[in-house]
Amino acid sequence: MSDIRLEHLTKSYGDSTAVDSVSLHIEEGEFYALLGPSGCGKSTTLRMVAGFVKPSVGKIIIDGLDLTPLPPEKRDIGIVFQNYAIFPHMSVAENIAFGLKLRKKSRTEIDTAVRAALDQVGLTGFEDRYQRNLSGGQQQRVALARVLVTEPRILLLDEPLSALDKTLREEMKFWIKNLQQKLGITTIYVTHDQDEALTMSDRIGVMRAGQIEHSGTPREIYEEPATLFVTSFIGQSNILDVTCQGVKENKATVELGGQSLHASTRHLFGKGTPAKLVIRPENVLMGKEAEAQGVPLLTATVIDETYQGAMLRYRLEIAGQEIVAERQNQFHLERWAPGTEVKIGWTERRARALPDEKPAATGS
Amino acid sequence: MDDINPIPFTFRIIAVVALMVLLVPVLIVVLAGLNSGEYLTFPPEGFSLRWIENFFTSPTFLPAFKLSFGLALATTIISTILGTLASIFLTRSTSKAREILRGLFFLPVVLPGVVLGLALYVFFIWSDVGLARSLAGLIIGHVLVTMPFVIATVTASLVDFDLSVEEAARSLGATPFQAFWKVTLPLITPGISAGSIFAFIVSFGQFELTLFLSTPDLQTLPLAIYSSLRYAFEPTAAAAGIFAICLVTVSTLISTRLSNLKKLLSRR
Repeated sequence: MSDIRLEHLTKSYGDSTAVDSVSLHIEEGEFYALLGPSGCGKSTTLRMVAGFVKPSVGKIIIDGLDLTPLPPEKRDIGIVFQNYAIFPHMSVAENIAFGLKLRKKSRTEIDTAVRAALDQVGLTGFEDRYQRNLSGGQQQRVALARVLVTEPRILLLDEPLSALDKTLREEMKFWIKNLQQKLGITTIYVTHDQDEALTMSDRIGVMRAGQIEHSGTPREIYEEPATLFVTSFIGQSNILDVTCQGVKENKATVELGGQSLHASTRHLFGKGTPAKLVIRPENVLMGKEAEAQGVPLLTATVIDETYQGAMLRYRLEIAGQEIVAERQNQFHLERWAPGTEVKIGWTERRARALPDEKPAATGS
Repeated sequence: MDDINPIPFTFRIIAVVALMVLLVPVLIVVLAGLNSGEYLTFPPEGFSLRWIENFFTSPTFLPAFKLSFGLALATTIISTILGTLASIFLTRSTSKAREILRGLFFLPVVLPGVVLGLALYVFFIWSDVGLARSLAGLIIGHVLVTMPFVIATVTASLVDFDLSVEEAARSLGATPFQAFWKVTLPLITPGISAGSIFAFIVSFGQFELTLFLSTPDLQTLPLAIYSSLRYAFEPTAAAAGIFAICLVTVSTLISTRLSNLKKLLSRR
């Protein structure tokens, strides 16, 4: 079990920078997800940790030991690839024994370890199968067993679920998380799927343009996103144009449609500067619910209502801007027809004020 | 055989005709070699093994056969190793020299054998390091013309090779050499063995190039057949042809079996 530290990890190809000074500390036994759209540098970061890509600048330190100059075979890091990379000319048992044979273990040791590994991933009886006779999920289990049997210090998973169908993906998500917890192995998980990152990780690093924009627990990432990019990449958000009136003790006072509202913030805004007010659709209260909370009320006009089974989704207009609200679909709650006016509001700590940014500013 | 044959009837007829056109000359050579007459004629005048016997006792044919076999074997080994290494460079390198080198490697198959033979002959004489009219010089010439076949087949299998398999081996503890030896090499074996079969056949049947590089005491089978037909027109040449056909067929079968070509291909 090991901790891993990335220090100013950078990779440039000519003029373009794939990974831009990523610094990160992952605790022993932690499940850390690198989340981001394709081309954000998350896979390059993982490949640098594995040793397949040489960093331009920076260090990779595991257990206080600088691994940066070491080749992949000396790093003691296990990696599972998106396509699993099962050796097609070897049986399942030979695949799993591969790393142990290189470590010059005895025949009996290898046999015992292979059997234990197969049992661990639930593939007992599959010893003599070849890759061509395995399903995607089974190949993934073999890839995991092959890596875990060598007892690596760090486990790297590169989009391991993206090649599976949806039902299997749900199942494997919990299976992998359980196995990771049982073994307590420090894991870096690369994904572009926010659901996987939110449900599986202890912490998430949201990456864009080679940098980690926000590193935190799933709750922090979802509820207190650091930037507009993180806000819009994870889940749905209303992003409203507001004018800032002042900031005091992490609380911003903003003006929206002539009304003063409060929102939590980690930024400083000058008086009168434009800002963005961010609020999740499920946190927008409507009608009696809003009134009962005793929050500042705004008057909105209903544009339309979308029926989504468990949820009702309202598009509303407020001070010339559109805002979406989601309500539980329960029979005793009020409903509003398009064109009607409704009072809406939200609790202060659910709303966040963030500085405006140019969308998709890449490169820097 | 319950399935309906997906190949249309006319195509099958064309295939049969093409196969016959290819096989009939081979059959004629075999029959001519078993002829009982004095001269190389067709149809044969009767059945006899006298020319086969003559092949074994002849002072030229059997040594020529042995030389051709040894030459083809040496050429195949050198060509396969060099060609495989060259293919790895051609598929993996990011060097700018790659395209130029690829062109150079394939030049020997594009150039007429006569031109290449003459060029090599002149070069060997001019460089004066003892390669002219030597077995070593002959092998170099044969490697040059057979290597493109190895490069073509091995490159083909390396191009669609999934690099992550090699990376997986590396991160499981394999050095670059171990990863290549235990993972990459077994997976590209079908390409390598196909290339080496080509190399063997091309070297064994090589004529123009050999004409320039051999000496009277370095006579390969094609040269021996050629001179025997020019001066003696006897069926021993056809008998030699039978052995050449057998050798190529058997060596192809053996190497296919050894490399488990079928099994590997069916895994796809």
